[in-house]
Amino acid sequence: MSTKAKEILAITIIVIFCLIFYIRKVNGGEGILFSSLVAWLVIGAMVLSLVWILILTIRGRLISRRVVFIYVGIALALPLFMPFTQRIPISPEVRALYNSVETLKPGSKVLISFDFDPPSAPELQPMAESFIRLCFERDLKVIIMGLWPQGPQQANMALEKVLSDEKMKVKNLQYGEDYVNLGFQTGNEFVIQRMGSSFESMFPTDYRGTAYDSLPLVRNVKNFSNIDYSFNLSAGFPGSVEWVQIAVDRYGVQLGLGNTAVQAPQMYTYLNAGQITGILGGMNGGAEFEFLCKYKGKATKFMLSQSFAHMIVIAFIIIGNVAFFLGGRKSALKKS
Amino acid sequence: MEHFALWLAAFLTLGIISFLYKDNAWYKLTEAIFVGLSAGYWFVTLFWDNFYGKFWIGKGEHAYLYVGAFLGLLMLLRLIPKIGWISRWPLSFIVGATSGLWLINYFSSNIMKQVQATIFPLFSSQYGAGFDAGAATVIGNLVIFLGTFTGLVYFFFSKEHKGAFGYTAKVGIWVIMITFGASFGYTVMSRMSLFIGRIDFLLSDWLGMIL
Amino acid sequence: MVVPARAVPEPADSLKADSVEIIIAPPTSPVVSDFKYDDGNSLILTWVPSIDDLPVGGKVLSYHIFRSDNGGEAKKIAELIPGANYYKDEDLYSDTNYAYHVVALSSNSRAASFQTASIRPQREWVNLNLKYLFFIALIIAASVIYFIETAKRGKKLFVRKIAGLEAVDEAIGRATEMGRTILFIPGIHDMDDVQTLAAITILGRVSRVVADYDTKIRMPVARSLVMTAARETIKASYMSAGRPDAYNDDMVNYVTDEQFGYVAAVDGIMVREKPATIFLLGAFFAESLILAETGNSVGAIQIAGTARPAQLPFFIAACDFTLIGEELFAASAYLSGEPKQLGSLKGQDVGKGIAMLAILLGVLLSTIAAVGDTETITDILNFITRVFTVTN
Repeated sequence: MSTKAKEILAITIIVIFCLIFYIRKVNGGEGILFSSLVAWLVIGAMVLSLVWILILTIRGRLISRRVVFIYVGIALALPLFMPFTQRIPISPEVRALYNSVETLKPGSKVLISFDFDPPSAPELQPMAESFIRLCFERDLKVIIMGLWPQGPQQANMALEKVLSDEKMKVKNLQYGEDYVNLGFQTGNEFVIQRMGSSFESMFPTDYRGTAYDSLPLVRNVKNFSNIDYSFNLSAGFPGSVEWVQIAVDRYGVQLGLGNTAVQAPQMYTYLNAGQITGILGGMNGGAEFEFLCKYKGKATKFMLSQSFAHMIVIAFIIIGNVAFFLGGRKSALKKS
Repeated sequence: MEHFALWLAAFLTLGIISFLYKDNAWYKLTEAIFVGLSAGYWFVTLFWDNFYGKFWIGKGEHAYLYVGAFLGLLMLLRLIPKIGWISRWPLSFIVGATSGLWLINYFSSNIMKQVQATIFPLFSSQYGAGFDAGAATVIGNLVIFLGTFTGLVYFFFSKEHKGAFGYTAKVGIWVIMITFGASFGYTVMSRMSLFIGRIDFLLSDWLGMIL
Repeated sequence: MVVPARAVPEPADSLKADSVEIIIAPPTSPVVSDFKYDDGNSLILTWVPSIDDLPVGGKVLSYHIFRSDNGGEAKKIAELIPGANYYKDEDLYSDTNYAYHVVALSSNSRAASFQTASIRPQREWVNLNLKYLFFIALIIAASVIYFIETAKRGKKLFVRKIAGLEAVDEAIGRATEMGRTILFIPGIHDMDDVQTLAAITILGRVSRVVADYDTKIRMPVARSLVMTAARETIKASYMSAGRPDAYNDDMVNYVTDEQFGYVAAVDGIMVREKPATIFLLGAFFAESLILAETGNSVGAIQIAGTARPAQLPFFIAACDFTLIGEELFAASAYLSGEPKQLGSLKGQDVGKGIAMLAILLGVLLSTIAAVGDTETITDILNFITRVFTVTN
C-alpha cells in the first residue's frame, strides 16, 4: 500500500471514530472512565514500551521524532480517563499569594489585569476563575481591566463561569457595585503609568460603554492609592514586568502574579526582592491555588496529564542522552 | 449553528496538530486563516479602541490628542518613499520617550532593588541573632549570593577569565546554565498545558468522551 | 506605606443610643506635615492612637479622619481600621489651607482629637529620595561617555575573548570545505532593536571571511530595512576583500514580516538547501526552537546569540555555540571596534563593578554585623542599604 493510501485510510478511520463519538454525545452518551485495573495496565504498557525504546537506542537504532509526539499525546490524553487524583503540594509563593488575599477586609477593592489572550488561556484561565471566585467568596470588590485586547473577553468568560455557580447566585452580585470590567486600553506600559495618576483618564468608559463616573464601584477610585490589592494575569509583554516596575515600584501597589510557565522563572527575582506578594506559575501554580481555594477546577483536573507528560519527557531526555553519548553529535565540527 | 462551530474549531485544531506528522495543505490552510484573522482582529481593535475610542470621541475635550494624531499621520508618510524620512520624527519621539521611561524603571526595579535584596547576613535569620539560621536558609542564602555575584563576574568583559576570576566566572556560567535548565523545564510545562487545553477541547467539548 | 482607606458615602455617623455607652480615650498629638517631593498635592497626617485601641480586646472600632478646607466646616474624608496612626491625603491643591482632626469610634461613642495646625501642601521640583539612583546612573552614563571618547581617540579598549566567536571562522571553513551554503538569520526585529544591530555588525565580519573563502552566503530577512542594511554590509565586505564582482543582491532577500510565515520560509530553505553553517543572531521569540531544531536536524553547525532570556535555553540546547545575553553585544563591539559599542560595553562594566562591590561588601558586612555588632560596620552597612533603596 502506498503512503498516500495509508494516509487516506488513517484519516477515514479518524473521521468515522469522531462521528461515532459525536453522535453518541449528541444522544446524551456519558463520558468514559477507566477502572483502576485498566488504568494501571495502560501505565504498565507505556513503561514497558519506553524500556524497549531505551534498549533499541542502546543497540543503536534511533526512533523517529513522530514516536515522541505520539507518546506525549497519549500521556496527555489518557490520564483524563483515569480515576486517580494527584496530591498537590503547596509552594510558599502560592500560599503567600493566597494569604495576602485572605487578609484583605471585606469590601476591599481588588484590581485584576487580564494581560493574555486565548492561546495562553489553558494556563491562565483556571487561575482567573479561582481568583475571582476567592474574591467574591470573601466579599471583595473586583475591578477588571486588560492591557491585551482579548483580555477583558477572557475576564467576561471567567466571570460568567464563576457567577453561574449556585453559591455565587445566592450572593446576588451586581455589576457596577460588586464587580466591573473596565475593558481594554492600548498604550502598553504607559497605561499603567497614567493609571498612577488617574484611572478615569485611561478608562473613560467601561467594557459596556457606561461612563466611569456612573459606576458606583469605581466612582471614588482615583488611582492606585484607592486599590487594596492587585493581581496580574500575564502571558508576556505588556504584563508582569511592567506592573512590577511601574505599579509596584513607583506607586507602591500590593501585587500578586499569575504567569504562564514560560514567564514565571523570570518573576522569581521580584519575589525574592519582595516586590510581589506571591506568584502562580503555570498550570501547576493554578492547581495549587485551586487546592487552597478548596475548588476543583480545570488546573486540578489537568495536573495528572501534566505529570504524566513530564514523566514521558524525562524518559525521552534519558533516552536522548543515551543516544547522544553513544553517538556524539558535537564531534561533527571537529571531524570537519 | 453550535454543531457547525464545534466542528469548525475541531477541524482547525486538528489542522494545526497535523503538522506534527508533516507539513501539509491542511496545516497551511489553517495557518493562513489564523494569520489573516489575527491581523484583521488587531486592525479592527486598534481602529476602534485607538482611533475611534480615544481620538475621535475625546478630541473635543482634550486638544492635545491632535498632537498624537499629527505624529501618527507623520508615521504614515512611510508609504510615500520620497518623503518617507519624515516618519523618523514620530519614531524618534517614541524611542526617546520609551527609553526615558524605561531607563528609570529598569534601573530602580532590576538593578537597585535587586542589589539591595541580595545584601543579607548569610548565616543568620536576622541582625543580632548570631549564626542561628537553619541549613535550608543558609543554602538558599549562599545560592542567591553566589549565583548573583558569579553571574555578574561572567558578564564582566573588561577582564580576561583567568585565575581566580576565571574560576568564579566558571561557577557563574554553571549557575546560568542551571537557570536555563529550570527555565526550559517551565517552558515544557507551559507547552504541555497548552496542548492539554486543546486535547480537553477535542475529547471533552467536541466528542464528549471525558466525564 | 499607605494605610488602606475607604471613602464612606454616608453623611454622619449613626450611634446606638440605647445601650450602655463604651467610653474611649481620644487619639492624641495629631500632626499634619507636607508629603515630601510631590507636585504639591498631598499631606501626611499622623497621630498617636487612642489608649483604648489594643490589638486584643480593644474598644476602638475605627478612626474617622475629618478635614477642614480654608477654615471651613470639617468633613469626614476617610474611615480607617483600628491601629492606624497614619493617613496620606491626596489630590489636594497647593493654594488651599487644610486642617485635620481624628475621631476614634467605639460601638456607641466617639472621641475626637484636637485639630491640627492649618497648612498648605508644598510643591518640590526635585525628588531627593532618588538622589542615589541619580548619582549611580550619572556615574554609569559618565563612564559610557568617557570610554566612548577614549575609544574615539584611538586608545585600544580591552574586551575579553568570547567563546562563541572563535568558532565563527571554523564554522565558515567547514561550509567552504563541504561546498555548502552559510545561512545567516538576523532575528525578526527591525533595525531599531539593538540586537539586530549587533547581528548586522557580526554579519560584517562573517561576510568578510565568506568573501575571502569564496563561500556562498544566504540571508532571508523579516524586515525590509534589515534587508537594505544587510546588503550594504555584505557589499562592503566583498569590496574590502577586493572581490566586488562576486557580490550579488540575491544573497539577502526579504521574506515576510509575519513571524510564523517567516519561520515557515526559513525552515523550507534549511530543509531544501541543507546549509553547513547557520547563524541565528538577533531578537528571537517563539520561533527560536523551531528554527534551531530544524537547523540541527539538517546537520548544520549552528552559532546562536540573543539577549532574550526566555529563548536562550532553546539555543543552548539545540545549537553548538551560543552567545548568551550581553555576549552578543560584546561580540559585536569586539568585532567592529566601534567606539560607541565599545564605550557602552565598558561603561556597563563599571555599573556591574559597582553592583558586584556593593553585593560583596554588603553581604560581608551583614554577616559580620549579625553577630558582632560594631557601630562602624553597622554605619557602613546602613549607608550601602540606603544607597540602593529606592523610595518614591
